[in-house]
Amino acid sequence: MDYPTISEYSMNTNRLALLSLLTALCVGIQLTPRPPNVEFTSLVSFAAGAAFGSWAGAFLGGMTMFINGFFSPWGHAGLNMPFQMVGMAVAGILGRVYKRFAPNEFSSARFCLETAILGALIALIYDLITNVGVGIQFISAGVDPTLALFSAVAYGSFFSLIHILSNSAVFGFLLLPFTSALNSLKVGGFYWSKKERLSS
Amino acid sequence: MVEKRTLVFITLAIFIWAAVASAFAGYYYLQSRNYRQQFGETQDSLNGLASNYDETVSKYNVLLGEYSELYGNYSYFVDSNYAKLIEPFGHLVVNLEGNYTDLLNAQKDLNRTYLEVLSHYEMLGQKENVTREDFGSLLSEYYRLLYQLTIKELTQAITKTVTLSVNISVDYGNGTVAWRNDTQISASSTLFELTQEIATINYTYYALAEPGHVLIDSINDKATYVDPSYSSGYSWIWYYWDVDQKKWIAGPVGCDAWLLKNDGIYKWNYEYWSWP
Repeated sequence: MDYPTISEYSMNTNRLALLSLLTALCVGIQLTPRPPNVEFTSLVSFAAGAAFGSWAGAFLGGMTMFINGFFSPWGHAGLNMPFQMVGMAVAGILGRVYKRFAPNEFSSARFCLETAILGALIALIYDLITNVGVGIQFISAGVDPTLALFSAVAYGSFFSLIHILSNSAVFGFLLLPFTSALNSLKVGGFYWSKKERLSS
Repeated sequence: MVEKRTLVFITLAIFIWAAVASAFAGYYYLQSRNYRQQFGETQDSLNGLASNYDETVSKYNVLLGEYSELYGNYSYFVDSNYAKLIEPFGHLVVNLEGNYTDLLNAQKDLNRTYLEVLSHYEMLGQKENVTREDFGSLLSEYYRLLYQLTIKELTQAITKTVTLSVNISVDYGNGTVAWRNDTQISASSTLFELTQEIATINYTYYALAEPGHVLIDSINDKATYVDPSYSSGYSWIWYYWDVDQKKWIAGPVGCDAWLLKNDGIYKWNYEYWSWP
């Protein structure tokens, strides 16, 4: 007999603890000095979105960027912080979307290839959103809106390329083992939850 | 038959590539536009420089021709009284003032030299008998002024296109040394102009002193002092850093005659001196 007392995406203590752990992991990595535009937050947000639902993934990504905005080794994010939060929240939401449309069974190679493309897409969307943020700052400084947005996107292209390539590699190589580990933790959590209920 | 899911991911990959390529195209477009703009500005300033140069040289040649004519008359003048040449000299002075009105209004030091020449001319104009030496001296003053005005006008054309970065310190002689590094100033500026930029100064102008007419009396209210016996005192002395010799060299001319170099290092020292 199964105990489906916990709906798939509702929070219980174990899931909340796991999500907190992931947030701490994300913040820890995010605040560690590393090459510019090489990040793991979108990977974790994406995986959290897939595992716990879009709200959880979006919250994790957004919250990590909120904390990062104040303590980043690259300095205070300033007015760009809300755009970074939205950009990373999108990664969490896309995790859920991907899981929804994923087939039940498919090869690891295909999974890696698809997620590598998704990693690149997430980096592109994130950079577009944050570059719009930079463009809005230019506009507020008196630059013509079209030129401001165009300049922000164009001058960010080198950093975007680094982000897209690195994120593609991170997703392609790390998402599969990371998701497997996350599923094990989830299953383990459910197992111990069931044991507690049986013994009580 | 390719399945729909594969097509979606291929489309996504192409979209990402297109977006990145477009961003790079935009970057190169903006860069190329900026370079074109900078090139245009540089070309305009070079054209302006050439045009100013032509104008200045033409003016100089005309005035020099008039001067040369008067100098010829002076050289071969047979009478011992040169008062007859005072009137043609007056025309020279009027022409000089007319051609360099803006510059004389802007440059106080040159204007004072001009007023000295004018005063000398008016003084000789009131004399009935003007000696060869008196008139020769007046001509020399005029020629030096014309030369200085021409040089200044030429360097001002460069000033509009070039900016220098220099370092300067002021040592007050009491342990306080104030540095002003990477100070931006127009090319052809003198140490005097730089000092005026970075500090409040008082000075005395000696119109006929050369080279340089200015003696600094105080910098930021730290005034020079000369003993009533004129045998000792404290003065503001300027130095420049000699890169080759790697040492400070005392200024060989007045600070208003010393043109600044890009990346030059200068200092003002409040120093004790005694004589003999």
